[in-house]
Parts: sequence; structure tokens; C-alpha cells
Amino acid sequence: MDWLRELARRLRMLMHRRQFDTDLEEEMRLHLELRQQEQIEAGMTPDNAQAAARRGFGNVTSLKEKSHIAWGWGWFEQLVQDMRYGLRMLRKSPGFTAVAVLTLALGIGANTAIFNVVHATLLQPLPTRQGNRLVVIWVNNLEQSWSRIGPTGQDYLEWKEESKSFDDLFLFEHGTGTVTGLGEPEQVAGLRVTTNFGEFFGIKPALGRTFRLEEAGSRHNFAILGYGYWQRRFGSDPSVAGRGMTLNGEEYTVIGVLPADFAALFPVDVVVPFDTDWVKRVNTDLGVFGRLKPGVALGQASGEMNVIAERIATARPLRKGFGTVLVPLEAVRVEYLRPALLVLLVAVGFVLLISCANVANLMLARSVGRQREMAIRIALGAGRLRLIRQFLAESTMLALLGGTAGALLALWSTDLLNVFVPSRIPVPNAADAVTLPGIHMSGAAVAITIVISLLTGIVFGVIPALQSLRCNVNESLKEGGRGFSIGPGGHRTRSTLVIVESALAFVLVIGAGLMIKRFWHLLDVNPGFHPDHLLTLRIKLPTDAKSSEYREPRQQAATFQRFLASVEAVPGIQSAAFAEIVPLSQDDMDMGYFVVQQDPALPPGGHLAADFRDITPNYFATMDIPLIAGRSFSEQDNLDRPRVVVIDETLARRFFPKQNPIGKHLQIPDTTRPSREIVGIVGGVHDTGFDQQPRPTIYFPSLQSPDQTMSLVLRTTLPPSAVLPAIKNAIWSVDKNQPLFAVRSMDEIISGIVSAQRLAFLLLGVFAFLALALAAIGIYGVTSYLVSERTHEIGVRIALGAQRSDVSHLVLGTGARPAGIGVIGGVVAAFALTRLLSSLLFGVSATDPLTFVVVAILLTLVALTACYIPARRAMRVDPVVALRCE
Amino acid sequence: MHRDEIPPGTLYLLILKTLARSGEMHGYEIANSIQRISDDILQVEEGSLYPALQRMLIKGWVTAKWGTTAGNRRARYYQLTAAGRKQLTVEMSQFERVIGAITRVIEAV
Repeated sequence: MDWLRELARRLRMLMHRRQFDTDLEEEMRLHLELRQQEQIEAGMTPDNAQAAARRGFGNVTSLKEKSHIAWGWGWFEQLVQDMRYGLRMLRKSPGFTAVAVLTLALGIGANTAIFNVVHATLLQPLPTRQGNRLVVIWVNNLEQSWSRIGPTGQDYLEWKEESKSFDDLFLFEHGTGTVTGLGEPEQVAGLRVTTNFGEFFGIKPALGRTFRLEEAGSRHNFAILGYGYWQRRFGSDPSVAGRGMTLNGEEYTVIGVLPADFAALFPVDVVVPFDTDWVKRVNTDLGVFGRLKPGVALGQASGEMNVIAERIATARPLRKGFGTVLVPLEAVRVEYLRPALLVLLVAVGFVLLISCANVANLMLARSVGRQREMAIRIALGAGRLRLIRQFLAESTMLALLGGTAGALLALWSTDLLNVFVPSRIPVPNAADAVTLPGIHMSGAAVAITIVISLLTGIVFGVIPALQSLRCNVNESLKEGGRGFSIGPGGHRTRSTLVIVESALAFVLVIGAGLMIKRFWHLLDVNPGFHPDHLLTLRIKLPTDAKSSEYREPRQQAATFQRFLASVEAVPGIQSAAFAEIVPLSQDDMDMGYFVVQQDPALPPGGHLAADFRDITPNYFATMDIPLIAGRSFSEQDNLDRPRVVVIDETLARRFFPKQNPIGKHLQIPDTTRPSREIVGIVGGVHDTGFDQQPRPTIYFPSLQSPDQTMSLVLRTTLPPSAVLPAIKNAIWSVDKNQPLFAVRSMDEIISGIVSAQRLAFLLLGVFAFLALALAAIGIYGVTSYLVSERTHEIGVRIALGAQRSDVSHLVLGTGARPAGIGVIGGVVAAFALTRLLSSLLFGVSATDPLTFVVVAILLTLVALTACYIPARRAMRVDPVVALRCE
Repeated sequence: MHRDEIPPGTLYLLILKTLARSGEMHGYEIANSIQRISDDILQVEEGSLYPALQRMLIKGWVTAKWGTTAGNRRARYYQLTAAGRKQLTVEMSQFERVIGAITRVIEAV
């Protein structure tokens, strides 16, 4: 504890430094005066007495310093000195300071901004207990190329019964529910869960309670509210637990409210429970999470689950060919973002390195001007270490200034990012989306910025410091007032920096170029329908309540027909239709099996798979999907008439090669329904995304195959906001309790589909542009420095008869050569690094030759332009002026 | 009059002992006291008292507070702490050990 008290005393002294110095001075003065007094009393003259007192006392200044140093703050005071001196130097050359700070701010700001994104998305822990032991369990079928599909309730029950690798399994189903009686009818995002919900995730409800395990025994109409929904619809009512609400026409009792952070895992409005009977019945696309037992590895659990899957496949023939896929929940959340973010992290790292190289170059140029100062300091006995420290203090201060400006840039860019980064990124082929949290400046990001700034300060400060210390004191002092140079070593350092910069910039621009090409490809894809002026929205008929008139399929079909008639009458609507799922919307999935009747090619028991779509007759016309052969549906294709289907050309090509499919009959297995005749063929549609080829699709007339949930598609040239009120009224004139949801134009849907790529492309483009601009500045700086240094030499050359073109060649050569070497190095590095991009590029090759050639030419042009300005200055050198300067 | 430099390392001991004997003193008094008691033989380079006193302040051997002299001047008075007293015995025994050893060496026949 003694050292602690000692430290406290030292600190107190540091606080009262000035007081300390005056105290010491007063004390010493008193001593000297008393001694002088004594000598005078002993008979000396005052002058002699003073001299004697001083002699006896010793060197006052040195003693003061010794007393001061005794407190151990010498290093700190030197640091303050260095920083003050550095600040003075920076203030003296505001142009240099501004350029350096701006360069660093761009580099550091870009890094902080991307770190904010990484922090918000990849580094946030799951809002659950033992989140690192949670795994998602999917079913797969490699024959059907289904990599991940949801299991059925029966799968869940059997897994839960047989598996030993898990503490617990949790089953859920995403859905929507109709809430009435709270103002406008609303379709809310719902989650139906097994009653171990609260226990499984370790939920501490914000209010009330979660479900109890024993509540699985019978059906309970209990509801837990999402935090956001509770705020929005219930005004954060603290006494909401126990209140009633009407969901899908049934009365529910609110029992609790989820904690706010739970939305990061499930952004839902209402959670309701499964009972055990219900679980046995459900076979739609469900979700299952498992919590691994402590010490059980993922591979172990996967092995066990595959054994169980094989057992199930023999017991239930429909499950033949199915296996299971286990993926940690934490990995699932970020797997669609990780590749893009890694690429962006590398990109901003490059930008930072380029800014460092640029600032190092600037400081190197400046250090030449200060060589004399350094020489004098060394000659006066300054230690080299002390000088390096001085350099580092200066560069660190620059870096911290840059870092502060960068943090401000990042702060501002988070607002921008929040605008551009979609909050939900659709996951192709999964009828799902990744929810992105809001991006904000975190404490961690501030810490990272400071660390980055300090590191950059050291990186770009050390190079010029070492360079300038290599100077020969004698030579520098002898050379007099002008004609300094940093010598060949300095030139080599600066050329190396330019080479590195050009190479890094090249890699970045290549990356951006590839992304641009990829994005163009994406927008170039013909989706198979005409996407302009299409508005879509979804309607789900509530069927839960026993009293619901919509339980009868015929009723459902009739209701949608009435909705359609009412909507078609709205002015400004050119065409309208209902479809089970709108292309590209990722709203839902419907796939199924079929066999072609009397087709000998198929082994007994085998079947084919396709996407199933239920549509109203006007759908193809509304979407502008071309009819290739046969006929489309009509109002007459109802339940009283022969069953018909229309297939798309993908299915026709794949399953009816060299045949005319029209008139053939399809059979859906495991149903007793009559077979269906193919009456028409339409064009293929990109249904899940532009990356995927159109999939085999069978269209059913919705009158023969009614659905509870349908999407309305409207073709109208009016803006959505203008027609929406009339559409709502048209629907409500049929049923006033019917909510409309997921109202989106096709443009919005498409921009959501390409949002991940667009974001990567935009950010990479910005970083590549930054890199290019910084590299150009770097090349310009080096070349123009060379010109100013060699003005005299150029003057002599011109006086001796050199042509202006010779001079410009000389300058272009010295500036463009390192840039050229850099481009070559960049090609090599890009070949190695663009592989990182390949997961984002899909159709485009990571070594696309056209992109490489174009970017190489672009970078060379930029380098030449950057050299051209100083070269022109060199050509204009007047030999008379240049020589007179001597 | 010939004066001897004090042996290196004994300045702390002299200051500690002086303060132990007389309680509160300011720098000038300490210097005077050392000289007077040693019959003017031990000469402290008077100024070097002050860095030494600073180091002793850091170590916590002495405390200082401002007061007034008999001549009504402001002066900083130093006073021994408990830690200072302990340090004094340490320095004393160390000193006696060294002196004893030296004496034995030079008196050996």
C-alpha cells in the first residue's frame, strides 16, 4: 500500500506543479537571504556576503531541476513539451496539416464506420441464455436440391423423443394474425411456439409471464406481446397483462410482454402457444432450434440426427431421401452478411494503408525541409531517441486529429448507412429475411478509432523519423542554406510508398469493378414479367374462430372473387389479379410433388417436384407473363369443371423434352383428387431471385384450389399512395374487418432483393474512389516534389539544349514508373484477393479479364494525369530564372 | 578552516537525525544544525538539501508545512513522520555496520 500512497503524493505534486516550483523557489530564496544576513552580521560587505551565500548553496537552477525530477514526472513533462512543439509546427504549416488530417480522417472514418456495421451485426451476442449452444435444425433433400427446409411437427416430436444430444428442442412457426378491435384492422407478425419458449431462451419478460410447460396439455388462447408492438398499439400500458385482444376473430388474453432486445432474434408482434395436438397436425414450413447439452459437439449431434433421419425415412416413406442439417444459430444470423462485411473490412483496411502511405510521403517531404533543424539539434546533443520521440509525438497528434475528424465522419455516415442499409435483407430461397439492427456509434467503435489512430500515427511517423536521422550532421550543416536532398535512400522510400499505394488502389478498384459488373448483370436479368407499375399487397382470411365464415374453401375462393370485383372497379386500376405468392417477394414457399400420368420414364413410387402457384385467371395478363402455347385460365375453371393446370416453359423443357405437354395429365401423389390436364404453357419467371434460374412451376386456378392467404397484384400508373385508400375501401366494402398487409410496389420488392449486392457495390465503389483519389494525390505529391527539387538541374538541361519533350519524359518517367510497378503488383495481389469476393459475384468470374484490363488502363491514366501537372511545370522552367536562383 | 564533504549516502541519515532531535525545522536551520553540531567539519553543499528533502517527501519520511520564522518570514518547516523514524533506525544500523567494518579494517594490525 506504500507505493499507492507514494503515487498519490506524486500525483498531487503533478497537479500543483506551478505551486511546487514557486514554493521551492521561495524556500531557496529564504535560505540564501538568511545566509547572507549571517555573513553581513559577521562583518562582510553585502555583495561579498551574497556571493559567499551563493557559493555555499550551489547551482540554484540545477538544484531546482533535480528537485523537480525527483518527483518522477520528467517523461510526462517532456511529452507535453513535444506535443506543444508539435502543435506549433502543425499550426505553422496549415496547408500540410489540413491535407494530412483530411487524408487520415477519410481512412480512419471509413474504418470506424465499417466497424460500426460489423459491431452491430456480427459482434452482438444473441439476446438469449447460452446462445452459443443453440443450433437450427433443418431438413434437407439433396436429390431435390433442397438444402434447408423446415421440418414438420411430427419430425419435431420424434426428434425430441429420440435425440440425446440436446437439453431441449424448441418448435416455432412464423405467421401473421389479424388483430381487430384496436382501431384499423391490422395484420401482425406472429409466432406460434411450443410452451418451453420462455425456458428455452431464458426470457425475462418485461411484463407479466411467458408460457408454462404444462400449458401444452390443452389449448389456451394466451398471447405474449412484442415490446415494440406493446409500445405502438398499447401505449406501453403497464397493466396490459390480463387484458383481452381479438386475434383472428378469437378472444386472447395477454399474459406478458417480451423484453425489448428479444426483437433482435424474433422481430414479432404477438407470440401464441402450440398445444401438443396441434404440433402433431402441423406440417408446413416450421422452425426447430435445439440447445446442445454441455460438452456435446455439433458434429456429434449431426451424426445422431442423421441416424434418426434414416430411421424416420424407413418408417415414413414420404421422408425418403431426407436428411438433417444442423447450423449454429449465431452462424445462421450472420452467414449472409459475413462475406460482404469481410470484403468491406479488407477494403477499408486498404484505404487506411493508402492514407498512411500518403501522409508518410507528406511528412517525408517536410522532413527534408527540417533536416537542418535536426542536424542542429543533434549537434547540440539531442539524443536520437529523443528526436524519434519528437517525430512520433508530432505524427501521433496528426493521427489523433485525423481520428477525431474520422470519428465525426463515421458518426455522420452512420446516419447515412442507416438510410442505405436495409433493415431487412431477403434471404433467397428461404422465404425469410435477415433482420439488421440499427447501426450506431458504439463505445467499442470509439475505442477502436483511438487504437487505429495511435497505430497509424506510429506507422507513418516512424518512416520519416528514421529517414531523417540517417542524415549526416556534418554534411547537412556544411551544405548551407539550400540544396538539401534526402538522397537516393529517401527517393527509394518514397517510390516504394507510391508502388504500395498504387497496388492497393488497383486491388480496390478491381473489386469495385467486379461488383459493378455483377450489379449490371443483376439488373439486366429479364424477370419473366413486366415489373413496372405493379403494386402488391397481401390479404389473409382469418379462419381460426369456429364462427368464421372463411373456414370453407369454397367461401375463401368466393370472397377473393368479391374482393377482386370490388378492386377492379377502382378508377386508375388497369388490371388486377390474385396470386398465392408474388414472384421475388420471398413471402412464402409452396412446393410439391407430381407425376405425369402414364409416364413410363419414372420409377414406381418416384415423383417430380415443382413450385405450385394458385392464381386467378387475369394473373398472366396483369403480370405480363407471355402465354407460349395453349390457353390461360378462365372464370369457368371452377370446382364444378375438370381440373386444369398451366405449366411454365422451364417445366415443359425439363420434363417434356421433344413432346407437346398440352393435353397431358398430371397427378398429385397421396391425394385422391382427380388428375389435372395441362391446358397451357407460359414463360418462366424468376421467382426467388435474379441469381436463380426460373424453377419448374405449375399454376392452378384458384377457384379449383382455394387459399386462405393471397397476394393482390395491381397494374396502375398512379402512385401507390394515390390508389391505396381507394383499394382499402374497396376491400373493406366487402369485409370491414379485413386487414391489408405487406403493401409494396414491385420496384420496392426488387430493390430489396438486390439490396445486399447494391450496398456492397456502393460501399466498395466509394472506397475504391477514395483509394484512387488518394493514390493520385500521392503520385502527384512525389512527382511535384521531384520537380521542385530538380528545378535547377532541369534549368541546366534546358540551357544545354534539352527539348521540352525530353524534360516531360524525365518527369513522367520518375512519377509513372513506380505507379506502373504498383499496377503490376496490384494485378498479382488482385488475382489472389478477389477470390474473397467470389461468394458475392455469382455469375461474374473473380478474374474477369475485361475488368482487369479496363482498371489497369484507368489506373495508368490516373497516374499519368497526376504526373502531367508537375511535368508541365517542369517544361515551363525558365533556365535563366532557375540558374539565377543559385 | 578545512571542511570535509559528507560521505556519500549519509545525507538522508543526517537530515533524519537532525529532525528527530529537534522536531520542526526549515531547510536553513537543518543545514546550520548539521554544520554546528559537527563543529563545522561536515559541510553540506547547502542547496543539495532541497532535492534530498523532495525525495524524502515522496518517500513519506517527512512532511512539510508552511509557517513563519522568528524573524516573521514565511518558511517551509519539515517534520519527521512515523515512516521517517523507522527509516532513521534502518539508516543508523546500516551506517554503524559500515563504520564498524571500516574501523575494523583500518585498526587491524
